[in-house]
Amino acid sequence: MNDASDPLIFMMGQYEAIIPQDRVYSSNHLWLKELEPDLFRVGFTSYSVRLLQDVYFLEWRVEAPTSLRLKQEIGEIESSKALSTLYSPAEGELVQFNEHLLDDPTPINTDCYGTGWLYDLRTSAIMKRPSEYVAHLDEGWEKTQNMLKGQIN
Amino acid sequence: MAGKKLTVVISQAQGKHPVRSKLEEEVAAALLMDPQVSVSLVPHLYDMSADHTGLVFLRSLKGPFVLLGWQYPRALHWTLDRQQIRGHMGITELIEEIDDDEEAIDDQPSQAIGSTEMPNRNIYCIDLRVSSNPQEYIEEIHRIYEEENQQLVQLTFGSLTNGNGSSNGVAQNGSATNGSSSNGNSGLTFDLTQYILNPAESDTPSAKEEIAQFKATQPPIKRRWYPVIDYSRCTNCMECIDFCLFGVYGVDNLDRILVEEQDNCKKGCPACSRVCPENAIIFPGHKTPAIAGAEGEVAGLKIDLSKLFGGSDDDAVDLAIRERDAELMADGREMVGKSVGLAERHTTSSRCRGERDELDDLMDELDSLGI
Repeated sequence: MNDASDPLIFMMGQYEAIIPQDRVYSSNHLWLKELEPDLFRVGFTSYSVRLLQDVYFLEWRVEAPTSLRLKQEIGEIESSKALSTLYSPAEGELVQFNEHLLDDPTPINTDCYGTGWLYDLRTSAIMKRPSEYVAHLDEGWEKTQNMLKGQIN
Repeated sequence: MAGKKLTVVISQAQGKHPVRSKLEEEVAAALLMDPQVSVSLVPHLYDMSADHTGLVFLRSLKGPFVLLGWQYPRALHWTLDRQQIRGHMGITELIEEIDDDEEAIDDQPSQAIGSTEMPNRNIYCIDLRVSSNPQEYIEEIHRIYEEENQQLVQLTFGSLTNGNGSSNGVAQNGSATNGSSSNGNSGLTFDLTQYILNPAESDTPSAKEEIAQFKATQPPIKRRWYPVIDYSRCTNCMECIDFCLFGVYGVDNLDRILVEEQDNCKKGCPACSRVCPENAIIFPGHKTPAIAGAEGEVAGLKIDLSKLFGGSDDDAVDLAIRERDAELMADGREMVGKSVGLAERHTTSSRCRGERDELDDLMDELDSLGI
């Protein structure tokens, strides 16, 4: 049954957030897929995208390549419902951005685990395994819902 | 009877933002056909350097005008002030909603030092994020047009002496407040007319396309990051100059605080704004409404997910110290933590009375100068 290659699922109310098992995760809701040792492709998890919804604007505040500190502010994102500053998931070197997204960020919505990737990051930081990320989501879900409600009221 | 045309200036959004661009074009296209209005389009106000022709154009405006931009009205107003484009804050009815219990704060007696050399005219700053409906802006501009023309009529039929400080036509009499050319109506030089949209040129194929093309011909400008001081709040307490270790702040020849070296400022760092006791320091591009120049404690216009994506929820002073240390480190300097430039109010609760006396002296000095 529980094939190691099957994606995990985290239920956000009725919505199934898919968590693929072929990559690792950061606590600030990004996936990191290893391209070569210590070089990762980074993108939003479906959990992030569900909260953001229809992203239409993405902008980076740093220029690649550049070194990053953990939680450094590196960009801004905006959708019709939400906005956020974007922070580095780890200390490392930002190698390149996905330039296609700057003209049209819709792949973030339509293919967040593929063509909607954000940037490549060289890091040796230790990330969460898929099951650990799901546990992290589970733990924070109530707080997240309260935060969203608090801002809507 | 035809009143004087009202000048409307649109400060464009930063970057390629499709939704914002579209609204700018819709508003500009509607105003272009409007006989009551002269509409201009300048690059993003905050990013223009002091000698940018867009600012020279704004300085050349002698009468009242409306500025539409993508920032809180306070941020727009004080960015203009910083560039010697001054006037009274025109009251616009098109604003985001503020909680009623927050408005009472203004009743306290103010120790603010105020702006200087303020010409007698109104500048109406409107935040384009308030509504996505172009019609709402058009209606508000018509309301302002009526308001301004009424004031003009009152001036004409009322007292002709200049004693009445509230009438608005006075500024057109050519007091050279800005240091720029003061030859009245024909103040626009050839260069500057490029910002004024001309209806004659835009009958085909559609005004909106024409405006989009016009925007495409303007060279992109570099993003900037620096503090803007709201002198209606600033008490000249000097906490910002003490806290900032990057030489951004200075004082003028009246010992008033000013942003002297704006490009020394560290991109993204709002630390001085967090330590300002009067919340008088605005970073228009910061995501936190209180820092970006919102009135009172309003909620953001959209849900802010930054905490989820890695932002912090420390208290303001701790954040400021961390932000400053991070910038010091990036410059290869020693981190100082809270050992430098923090006023006593952040460590003890009471304020030093001695400083107050000096400040009082300064206030008296300013009063005696009639500012």
